[in-house]
Amino acid sequence: MPVFKMLDIDLTTGRSHVTDVSDRFDRDLGGTAVATALLLVTPADLDPYAPEAPIIFATGPFSAVYPVATKTVALFRSPLTGNLGESHAGGRLAMAMYGAGFHVIRVSGASPFPCYVTIEEDQVVIHRAHSLWGSSALAAERILRDHEPSSYKRSIVRIGPAGERRSPIAAATVDSARHFGRLGLGGVMGSKNLKALVISGGRYWPIVETGKYNAFYKKIYDAVVKSPAMKKYHDLGTSMNVMPLSRINGLPTRNFAQGFFEGAEEISGETFATRHLTQHLACGHCQTGCIHMATLRERFHPEHHQFKTFKISYDHELIYALGSNLSISSAEEVLRLLLLIEKQGWDAISIGVTLAWAIDAFQAGHLSPAHTDGLVLNFGDAATCEKVLQRIARGHNEFYRDLERGVAFCSQKYGGKECAIAFGGNEAPGYMTGLYAYLGYATGVRHSHLDSAGYAIDQKALTEPKPDEVLTADLYQEAVWRTTLTSLVLCLFARNIYTADVVLEGLDALGITGWDDARLLAAARRAHARKLQYKERCGFRFDDLALPGKLARVVSGAGQVDPARFARQVAAYRDLARADAPAAAPEGPTPPAAGPR
Amino acid sequence: MGKLLRVINREQCIGCYSCMFACSRVWFKAITVEKAALRVKNYAGIEGAFSIRPCYGCADPDCARACPTAALTRRPGGGVNLDPAKCTHCGACVAACIPEALQWDHERKLPIVCHQCGVCVQFCPNDVIAMADIPQETR
Repeated sequence: MPVFKMLDIDLTTGRSHVTDVSDRFDRDLGGTAVATALLLVTPADLDPYAPEAPIIFATGPFSAVYPVATKTVALFRSPLTGNLGESHAGGRLAMAMYGAGFHVIRVSGASPFPCYVTIEEDQVVIHRAHSLWGSSALAAERILRDHEPSSYKRSIVRIGPAGERRSPIAAATVDSARHFGRLGLGGVMGSKNLKALVISGGRYWPIVETGKYNAFYKKIYDAVVKSPAMKKYHDLGTSMNVMPLSRINGLPTRNFAQGFFEGAEEISGETFATRHLTQHLACGHCQTGCIHMATLRERFHPEHHQFKTFKISYDHELIYALGSNLSISSAEEVLRLLLLIEKQGWDAISIGVTLAWAIDAFQAGHLSPAHTDGLVLNFGDAATCEKVLQRIARGHNEFYRDLERGVAFCSQKYGGKECAIAFGGNEAPGYMTGLYAYLGYATGVRHSHLDSAGYAIDQKALTEPKPDEVLTADLYQEAVWRTTLTSLVLCLFARNIYTADVVLEGLDALGITGWDDARLLAAARRAHARKLQYKERCGFRFDDLALPGKLARVVSGAGQVDPARFARQVAAYRDLARADAPAAAPEGPTPPAAGPR
Repeated sequence: MGKLLRVINREQCIGCYSCMFACSRVWFKAITVEKAALRVKNYAGIEGAFSIRPCYGCADPDCARACPTAALTRRPGGGVNLDPAKCTHCGACVAACIPEALQWDHERKLPIVCHQCGVCVQFCPNDVIAMADIPQETR
């Protein structure tokens, strides 16, 4: 079995050390499961911005080793929700951590000065970085790539000014247009005075059984490149969802007022591809290339033919959050907003949903021009949205400073709670397909559509109706299975390729033995239960989950969602989770003996 | 006439490094990009442009000329052969390769010589590289 190591960095003392954590990977598989176990041993009452609060980056046994195992998970205490902070990002980070020789990097403490950290194998250096503080998330990468040359492929994780301001909706940006977007990792890095991490190295695993490994690799490669499994992602990408969702009343429009957007075609994947798609990019070791880069060319001098051109990535979530949900039906205007967001380093969904709330709350009278210092907030007014973002970035007044604290905070302070579209404190993703989308956001451990894909259950139930109890059990089972995938740590776009049988074959081809279906399931249940244990320890309660008031009136793709029905299914989900709670036992059941190391 | 590795559609590269993984896998039984005899270089920021630097199989290789011990010698058909026993690990060969195609194995302290086998081509999803018939006089 390969060796797995953890690098610990204490920013307060400047010390670092390496631990062999192979036993943890042997027991829990890796990735999110290992990181959750590590997070659980932190003190229960740590403030998310306390120096002692750790950031745990973790990869898995498939990371950098097989195609599309490109993600890294980051676990931390979320400054947005107050409980589990879990975010996943691609780019080259998993590959670079593997090259550096670490499957886990745990950062704790807080630097007494703005810093960035370089990790090249065992060489860990904390650098003073006053001159980087204040730089955009894009500039920081350009500068560090020049300043920290390496013989090896590097990955650069950094924050923008939003993270420096400790915004709880700040992202950490990874390499080219990938992000630990959700739940405020950027703010946590900012609280540690940590502008960036630069990771590289040339370490690797030798292939143990050449024939077995190569055959398995080829099988996955062919599935990724030659089968239809990944076609959607390297074709139009997730933005192909925009028009079909609008057609079924499932595309959040004007702060979830309706699911049909009259301007959907103008911001559809097809329109972006025709007018702006310039290039596909890939994460390290993914042959799909799902990162869609748009180019926008603009004349910047009114009298002369002088132009500027920028590139920015887009996908469904960004188009929803800065497009339909703000009633902006211009691809160009969406891209301009995205550029500002990318530079500042906000999570695009959270800042977009917060903007939508602000417009809604303004129109409902909860906010006035006194708050906005004269700006009149309207849906469809991209120019004003741009001004709002600029004012947030400048900290124009208390209201604008508050806006980057997210929609739950703002609605608590200013009113308009019923139009604050957040679940468990996290701003909602871009599917309003029905009860199960909302239920997934609410009950998911990271309040993400990716936790359990409730939107898919909604759509399937339209043609194959089943009792709620059955569908809720399906949602729970999906959440548990996805814990296996995020322990490996796979990109969930490849979920249909990496079935349980394939996962087991892949482990075996690496000489990681002793796993079977039952053990995979047990590890996933354990990790999932531990996440809920952590959340509840931080104050999360299923019984506190509520459907945002506005959503009870709106007709979603699957019809109107009754709050009482929502509450019943939250309770049903809670009971399913409680039945699995004993699986969270501190170190879990002793696994069967593994194969030779 | 042997075939040589060429970049035929640079702009179609997505930066997945699949070619580099394939090369390391086949020639070193290693799961890494760092043992590959070619390099996909990426540029700063989100510009997302890639430059692929394969061994061009020079007829009169600069790397071999730079080698003080004749550890690198001209290979019939293009490119070089390496005799590791003669290598003094000076790195002059890598410095002499203007496109920075010749890679350095930091672990073994040896240049990583391209065998022009084409396995990288087989694992390129976007037809960026190909094994091409290159007339002798244009090498």
